[in-house]
Amino acid sequence: MGMELSRFLKSPEYDIKITTYRDIFQIEALEQNRFGEEYRKLSAAIMMSKEDMKKMGFKQGDKVKLINDYGSIVVELRETKRNEPGGVAFMVNSPWSNSLVSGETGGKGIPEFKNITARISLTKDNVTPIESLMGILMKHA
Amino acid sequence: MVTCTGCALLCEDIDVVVENNRIKETRNACRRGAARFRGCVNRLAPSVDKKPVDTDAAIKRAVEIIKNAKSPMLFGWSNSTSEAQAKGIQLAKRLNAAIDDTSSFCQGILIEKVLQKKFRTCSLEDIRDRADVLVYWGSDAQDSEPRHLSRFSYFPRGEFRQRGYEEDRIAVAIDVRESNTAKICKGHFYRIPPKGDREFILALLDALSGKVPAYDAKRMLELAGILKKAEFGSIFAGIGLTYSIKDELDIFVSLADKLPNFHIMPMVGHYNMRGFNEALFKETGFVNRTRFNGSSAAHDNRYSIVESLRQKSMDALLVVGSDPLSSLPRSVLAHLANIPVICIDPCVTLTSRIASVTIPAAVSGVETGGSAVRMDGRVIELSKVVENNYLSDAGILTRLTEEL
Repeated sequence: MGMELSRFLKSPEYDIKITTYRDIFQIEALEQNRFGEEYRKLSAAIMMSKEDMKKMGFKQGDKVKLINDYGSIVVELRETKRNEPGGVAFMVNSPWSNSLVSGETGGKGIPEFKNITARISLTKDNVTPIESLMGILMKHA
Repeated sequence: MVTCTGCALLCEDIDVVVENNRIKETRNACRRGAARFRGCVNRLAPSVDKKPVDTDAAIKRAVEIIKNAKSPMLFGWSNSTSEAQAKGIQLAKRLNAAIDDTSSFCQGILIEKVLQKKFRTCSLEDIRDRADVLVYWGSDAQDSEPRHLSRFSYFPRGEFRQRGYEEDRIAVAIDVRESNTAKICKGHFYRIPPKGDREFILALLDALSGKVPAYDAKRMLELAGILKKAEFGSIFAGIGLTYSIKDELDIFVSLADKLPNFHIMPMVGHYNMRGFNEALFKETGFVNRTRFNGSSAAHDNRYSIVESLRQKSMDALLVVGSDPLSSLPRSVLAHLANIPVICIDPCVTLTSRIASVTIPAAVSGVETGGSAVRMDGRVIELSKVVENNYLSDAGILTRLTEEL
């Protein structure tokens, strides 16, 4: 069995907390073309601290599946270049992060966009294309 | 000099170089603003049921949809001119429709408090000229309103702050992440856990009252000391803060009351969100989530875009300058498969791709003029930079109203 394959077979699922932020380069890409490669590259990613990545056996550039009761996406894993203590991972606000946000608002109309919990695991699947995020609405597109 | 509609700073000092009716270059704009002037690569074309038609036919079909709907919602508005917003509110009135904007799941609850005068606030020029303590709370202005620090808050020489950031100003960041703004606030970055704003506010209230705070006592007392000494302070409240304390905003009001020299400024991304909130507030006393019924207007959380979709209470949706498919949780969107959606936008969006009717609009501040309200409430004129054949958003709404 090759090293790579054994990584996937052994790779367990971990609980993860995610919060979202804004990134000016991603906003620029959004202005230009929300269906473009640049916007996908800057949005479909999760940033983690070096320590958390080590703990979970992940490395820079791995494809990871994020799943919870509201959705499931595949994004690229990147190591945050910032001084982060770990325990929380970060995604730029985008249709990808919004796929994991609960619609439950306690009747108040403001979803928990910045307070996401999900499970994370390694995957061989490709990064989720933006069209797939439209879910059942896709047949209307 | 023209005005940028990249964000709610509405920078009025942009130089554009136009050649053959095309924008060749922008000067002074930030990365976000320059991208707005360059425009999108996928312009929206008029369509009905995904088939190309002319704009008149798309408008005709849109009129049929909103006329026949029993509970239509008109949504979007934060990327629309004030003129379009005024027409949208009148259209909602005429249709007995619900109207909501993106502030509904963004800064609406904070702007409402500002308009109700629950907070002291001030102009961006006051901040530039007078502010000595700047608190970026759950706000990464460097990425969202990129010229905030350079034009108005930290870096400029102001009338009473001639020594700028080197001596006259202290910038503080309170955030869950070491953002680009937090990096500038060296030595004054207070990291909090997600949803930790409440504990932080309570600890700060203790520290300001001379009690020993339960949370990070040494640094809280140090921060309280900085805030107490401020001659003219400002708290720039970002959505990080708003989301975190959305169910108990009154503790933030209590904090503002404890800081008599401080002014609260909700940080707004979209260029005219505050304009919509002010216009609807003037008309109805509510900033968003309103349903008209004859001459009366009712405000309720169930008229929010999110709850209306969840409860499947709308039977048609008109979207103006917004992309709910991008910006809302996917888990609330299913109802859009059952109802007609009309999309008015300059560009192709996720929402336009599922819409029954699409109507292309001119880009405000580039292809059409008008006015908008800056994040501090000041009205700013927008310029038309290039000639084009697109209808303005206000023009489309006029047509919809006239053809009803």
